[in-house]
Amino acid sequence: MPNDQYGIGASLLRKEDARHLHGRGQFVADIKLPGTMDVGFVRSPHAHARIRSISVPPEARGRVFTGSDLPRIKPIRITSQSSGAKAPAWPPLATDKARYVGEAIAVCVAPSRGEAEDLANSVAVEFEVLDAVVDAPRDMRGSRHLIHEQWGDNLYIERVVEGGDIEAAARAAEVTVTRQFRMQRQSGAPLEGRAVLACRDHRLDEVVVYSSTQTPHTLRVALGEFLDIEARRIRVVAPDVGGGFGPKARLYPEEIILAALALELDHPVRWVEDRGEHLLTAAHTRDHHYKVTAYADRQGRILGVDSEIVVDAGAYGLWPQGPYQEAAMAARNLPGPYTIANYRARHYTVATNKAPLGPYRGVGRPGACFAIERIVDEVAWAVGRDPVVVRAENMVRSEEMPFTTVGGMRLDNGDYPQSVRLCAELLDLPGVRARQQKGEPDGRLIGVGFAAFAEQTAHGAAEFVARGAAIIPGFESCTARILPDGSVVLMVGIQSHGQGLETTLSQITAHELGIDPARISVRHGDTESTAFGFGTFASRSMVMSGGAVARASRLLRDKLCRIGAHLLQCDPAQVRCGEGAVLGPQGSVSIAEIARVAHLRMDGLPPGVDPLLDATATYEPAIGTGVFSYATHGAVVAVDPETGFIQLLDFAVAEDCGTMVNPMIVEGQIRGGVVQGIGTALYEEIPYDESGQPLAGTLADYLMPGAAELPAIKIGHLHTPAAATEYGMKGMGEGGAVAPPAAIANAVRDALAALGAPVGAEVNETPITPRRVLAAIRTARETAAKA
Amino acid sequence: MTGIHLHINGAAIVDDVPPRLSLADFVRERRNLTGTHLGCEHGVCGACTVLVDGEPGRSCLVLAVACDGRSVETIEGFAGDPVLAALRRTFHQHHALQCGYCTPAMLITARDLILRKRAGSEREIRDGLAGNICRCTGYTNIVTAIAEAAQEIGKEAANAQ
Repeated sequence: MPNDQYGIGASLLRKEDARHLHGRGQFVADIKLPGTMDVGFVRSPHAHARIRSISVPPEARGRVFTGSDLPRIKPIRITSQSSGAKAPAWPPLATDKARYVGEAIAVCVAPSRGEAEDLANSVAVEFEVLDAVVDAPRDMRGSRHLIHEQWGDNLYIERVVEGGDIEAAARAAEVTVTRQFRMQRQSGAPLEGRAVLACRDHRLDEVVVYSSTQTPHTLRVALGEFLDIEARRIRVVAPDVGGGFGPKARLYPEEIILAALALELDHPVRWVEDRGEHLLTAAHTRDHHYKVTAYADRQGRILGVDSEIVVDAGAYGLWPQGPYQEAAMAARNLPGPYTIANYRARHYTVATNKAPLGPYRGVGRPGACFAIERIVDEVAWAVGRDPVVVRAENMVRSEEMPFTTVGGMRLDNGDYPQSVRLCAELLDLPGVRARQQKGEPDGRLIGVGFAAFAEQTAHGAAEFVARGAAIIPGFESCTARILPDGSVVLMVGIQSHGQGLETTLSQITAHELGIDPARISVRHGDTESTAFGFGTFASRSMVMSGGAVARASRLLRDKLCRIGAHLLQCDPAQVRCGEGAVLGPQGSVSIAEIARVAHLRMDGLPPGVDPLLDATATYEPAIGTGVFSYATHGAVVAVDPETGFIQLLDFAVAEDCGTMVNPMIVEGQIRGGVVQGIGTALYEEIPYDESGQPLAGTLADYLMPGAAELPAIKIGHLHTPAAATEYGMKGMGEGGAVAPPAAIANAVRDALAALGAPVGAEVNETPITPRRVLAAIRTARETAAKA
Repeated sequence: MTGIHLHINGAAIVDDVPPRLSLADFVRERRNLTGTHLGCEHGVCGACTVLVDGEPGRSCLVLAVACDGRSVETIEGFAGDPVLAALRRTFHQHHALQCGYCTPAMLITARDLILRKRAGSEREIRDGLAGNICRCTGYTNIVTAIAEAAQEIGKEAANAQ
């Protein structure tokens, strides 16, 4: 019984907005506890160095703590199930050796952050500086100073993903195209950095850790493991979180250290990361190298793809999943939405003296999409056909689904070629081509490019087992509780930090129970009040947590109907929930009245029915390998061949995420993701120099997209409900960030085709900065001159 | 410690502060006005924007001692302000916020654009927001919300004349 006003499919305005619009959100740094002291860290200024000694001035003793001062802390360990995967133990405070710039060595406690930093500056650390490993492809087999000496090389893991017969495809090919691609290292950079506030609660005999995290329950698991205390004595609270995007879905040394300090010092301690620390030490992302060869026929039908993927994963793996998933996901997703039959990907995850790599919106796939979508365009250029047509012709067709790609992804349903056509319509492709032909009065070159992808979402146990994951985030949970006055509380194990789940999850219960979402509260982010869940990441929360909410709500609905039927003196089969009541053949009884009976007047309960309206349910989708959203993104650019400056003139997304619970929120997620993808494409980069020094330490060096350089993002929808999920939902949180780098690079390629003809100028590295554009133009012109 | 007298959201405040204390830390830590957020603490992201003597300013770059004798408005102020009320309404209606971290400063900046009549077109609004980073929304809905609030305020002003 869908309700147009507030049920599934309604663009219900968000419950979350009011507090933020009045500056009354509550982020970790906003929480005031009496007696709180701030902490600052002594961090390594060197990328690779042995620690000879740490000297704390006498007046600072008792306020500065090194690893040996906090013996209860155990090293962070990853337990990957993949054979051959190497997993270094990571002491949260480095004791013998520092392996990246910014690695924590000591922690300082003072009344204010400024004084804590003064203390940190008074600590003298003597280092023996070693050669830094910063070139992953060059140094993966070894280097003068290995990062983890006992390994014998710098490789976390190497693997091959294969399907079909790549040698046969090579022999059959009429056209062979080889390219190298590079996606540079970047930061997730939520606007609120990380923050931790930890204190002891003597009454409850527990340590309370407030953290700006996407995963409160698994953080509690980790704190228990690495501090060796029982989970019952740990409470984790993620209050309002100012953006996550993946980097806050991992355990950090600082969280362990703050909890240990709270146990040690018996007053609250607080760490509020500054932006420099964030750019230096919060999970970095991407940093992919590709070499890709496509084998095709004369029409551009791709017969096979051979690839080498190197992911530069930094010095340690982040708990719980370690460094392994980035390259593995890139390798398995590289065949994209295509019917490519023959495939080989050799992939390597490499340790370097850089900050650890972690998840960021898209995880692995923006790089894979960049590689395959650029190569699809190059195949089209090579055979002299329109990339739009070649792309659609190579795609899996709806009648072939479900279709398992050569990378092993089971694409469930949808009309992929239609998304290409719809995206071209949204951009008015004929109009763009006409403008391109006509030429710009200022000499800029117009280009248009497309990129498509299928996004695995809401994957359950089967997928994570296949990955060899250390933990299996295959389900979510919900406790649904109706209180004595008939109002409802949903307690869920996910964490909402901008996704609007306080609104959308209440829409699901509203749909199931026929009550106004204004009568429903959603509680999340607190291990005290919610059953175990994994948190919000991997485009999973709407499908997984929404499914759990649906199931818990139905348990309540059945009980409401039994009690309601008894009160109405009719058969439970004759009643249903709606309009805030249980409706019978002759009359109705309000949910508030039933709730009163279930709590305060149990003499009104039918025989055999227990009091309370309280149900806990878990949910895993019917298919453990995930349901696939898909989209085609299109970009129109104007490139100045004199300066290399790119203006993004237009951007469109044609997507299908199945049933949309709240289309307004879906479109918000798409636009936000796209702009992060545009950041990857054009602006965001953390370069490292040869000595392992990161060169982007402020937002003046690390450029994030602003309103001024962006067009409005257009969106068109296709609607193919999933068969394996509640209501046909598919996840969609990450997709927006996947395709923009490829679409924009293809548009730049299109714009520069005229320069240096017949070769054309290509930029195969993100971010596509003016410097890289000019270098590409220069190379193309030189190549053309030689020819 | 340095003694300062200033007005915050209309209330007279007297305090002793360390010379290096920023205005942002002063309002957040000493006055518990935590709607002013810190995103970079070096003047780029704009999340800490407040009004100082009526002008938008980066409270992370302004020292509290430099505000002696001045008047500061944070998101917790603006009681009865019609422009901010209109913006709150249109931000809500157009889903112009997600995590909410940039929102208070975005509202203060938008209000200033409207009052200075710099919100007449999409181009103007986008340029006017160049100093405020939002990592969640992609800005499209923020621009729409500001444009609508500007129109509402413009109509009200026209009717009042």
